[in-house]
Amino acid sequence: MSIMAYNGGCLVAMRGKNCVAIATDHRFGIQAQTISTDFEKVFQVNPRTFLGLVGLQTDILTVHDRIMFRKKLYEDRENREMTPEPFSAMISNFLYEHRFGPYFIEPVIAGLHPKTLEPFICNMDLIGCPNKPDDFVVAGTCSEQLYGMCETLWKEDLEPAELSEVISQAIVSAFDRDAISGWGATVYIIEKDKITKKQIKTRMD
Amino acid sequence: MFLTRAEYDRGVNTFSPEGRLFQVEYAIEAIKLGSTAIGICTSSGVVLAAEKRSTSELMVSSSVEKIVQVDRHIGCVTSGLTADARTLIDRARVECQNYWFIYNEPMPIESCAQAVSAMAIQFGDSSDGGSAMSRPFGVAMLFAGINEGVPQLWHMDPSGTYVRYGAKAIGSGSEGAQQTLKDEYHKDMSLQEATKLAMSILKQVMEEKLESKNVEVLVMKPNEDFRMFSKEEVEREINAL
Amino acid sequence: MHKIQSFPEYQVPGAQHQDFSPYESNGGSIVAIAGEDYVVIAADTRLSSGYTIHTRKQNKLFQLSEKTVLGSTGCWCDTLALTSLVNARMQMYEHLHLKTMSTEAVAQMLSILMYNRRFFPYYVSNVLAGLDSEGKGVVYSYDPIGHCERTTYRAGGSAGTLLQPVLDNQIGGKDRDVKNKPKVPLEKAKEVAKDAFISAAERDIYTGDSVILKVITKDGITEEEVQLRKD
Repeated sequence: MSIMAYNGGCLVAMRGKNCVAIATDHRFGIQAQTISTDFEKVFQVNPRTFLGLVGLQTDILTVHDRIMFRKKLYEDRENREMTPEPFSAMISNFLYEHRFGPYFIEPVIAGLHPKTLEPFICNMDLIGCPNKPDDFVVAGTCSEQLYGMCETLWKEDLEPAELSEVISQAIVSAFDRDAISGWGATVYIIEKDKITKKQIKTRMD
Repeated sequence: MFLTRAEYDRGVNTFSPEGRLFQVEYAIEAIKLGSTAIGICTSSGVVLAAEKRSTSELMVSSSVEKIVQVDRHIGCVTSGLTADARTLIDRARVECQNYWFIYNEPMPIESCAQAVSAMAIQFGDSSDGGSAMSRPFGVAMLFAGINEGVPQLWHMDPSGTYVRYGAKAIGSGSEGAQQTLKDEYHKDMSLQEATKLAMSILKQVMEEKLESKNVEVLVMKPNEDFRMFSKEEVEREINAL
Repeated sequence: MHKIQSFPEYQVPGAQHQDFSPYESNGGSIVAIAGEDYVVIAADTRLSSGYTIHTRKQNKLFQLSEKTVLGSTGCWCDTLALTSLVNARMQMYEHLHLKTMSTEAVAQMLSILMYNRRFFPYYVSNVLAGLDSEGKGVVYSYDPIGHCERTTYRAGGSAGTLLQPVLDNQIGGKDRDVKNKPKVPLEKAKEVAKDAFISAAERDIYTGDSVILKVITKDGITEEEVQLRKD
């Protein structure tokens, strides 16, 4: 079994109209054995920027720490908030530095530009190849299921409430068909003046 | 040069000049020595009634099984050589289970009769060194069953011929019984009437007195599994005659 | 005592040993949805091998009887071998038992035919759709060695993993907290099946070109074709 699927888990982010959404499951396991059901893989790095990391749990924690180190250094040196675009570039560079001994994680970045409020989503493979589409990005052990869900449910210019419903349905239906993702979900809706965090109850098996 | 009859009746694979297979005919004769069994089919069910001969007062009559279950939806009665009958019944049971295993539905009664008849005529293959019987089976059978909700009665004889009947008798009393059936049987008969008819014919043709210990009765109805009449039910039928 | 003499492997420099690989995946997806008195089964028409498209017009739905249709994808040669075997066995059944096989009987037989090859399986993803003996729509799905499950909807083939949660959501009512499943009208089933394929064609390179949709009701089988993206 791939080391990327050792702990299980999944992520999805979507663009809406003047908003973005990012969702994570809650499972942390070792292969088929579930260890805990409160392991959220999404971190708020700035008021309107969220970083999700999925893959090997130990690498999620390490990469998160290292990214935060670099991000804080940037913000202190530049004395300004890091916007989503360079934040992604920084993660991409960081991952590529480990091209031949990579961290076994796939990041998902979702945010609004602090000034222009332009929605931004991005994901990468484990060596930092960035992908910035204008609809949605997925990662994790049920990425195929997520592609199927997102491709059918997602539409252009979804309002925050609609986007919240679409992303919730997408992640729940997707991870219900994956044995090593799920056990609850959290959805973040990022708007100009509001972050909405929604906990979703799901089947726990 | 023609051989005499006495020579044509040895090989099971040899026709006589008149076009007869004597061994098969003799096997059919053997059935006429067997105990009588009657089957009557109505639109609401099939009834089988069979005489059980007791050769000794000391014999435990309940240990003789004349009517047997082939599958949940098929019952069967035989007349003739009991040992031969067991072989054919075993085959019928295996075929029914095999059909259910492959198709997940109950075997049609006709298919069951056909499968048994295929075995019954294998005696012809005995010369090529297989495991087939060297002679025809000395058994006639009546299959009573429910086919897709419809009651059916099938008869098979040692030649492997299988035919569907409305009512049929086999065994030593079959000739008389068949005549009565011809007179009394009609399609719109109720199951109760059929049961009563079968019992009264048995009473007529049997040498012994009709008692609950020397008769077996089976009634197959749509949506009901195979179930034989209990001693009490048989006695009630006898008393009602 | 004799010493067992071992000979060196006979090898010629430059000659390469090629392992026999009996399987190939030719792609393709199936979706089947059953209702109270109908069943819809759909399959795309792309037949491919790696990055090559063999044809854009391959029907993957096999009509087995008036009320049974089999959708089969995977290793196409195995699909052909298996479907001809099923057809032959159904013909034999008809001759022997003087009736057409019911959908349930076909379902069970298919399972057994596949399990007969337990140790050299037919590399196929099968979805069987039909009307049962009561006239209700049914879907049976299989794994390559013949495990059989009776359901009301199923996605199979190369985009099966993408589409199954979509069906759970749109047909299975798994998005709601209701105990009794909602009844799905035929028109909705057809729309979901078509939409599912449009979605699958976006992300699965082995699904595309067009989708053939068969609807089985007591009045017979109708067929329609919808174009998908061809890149």
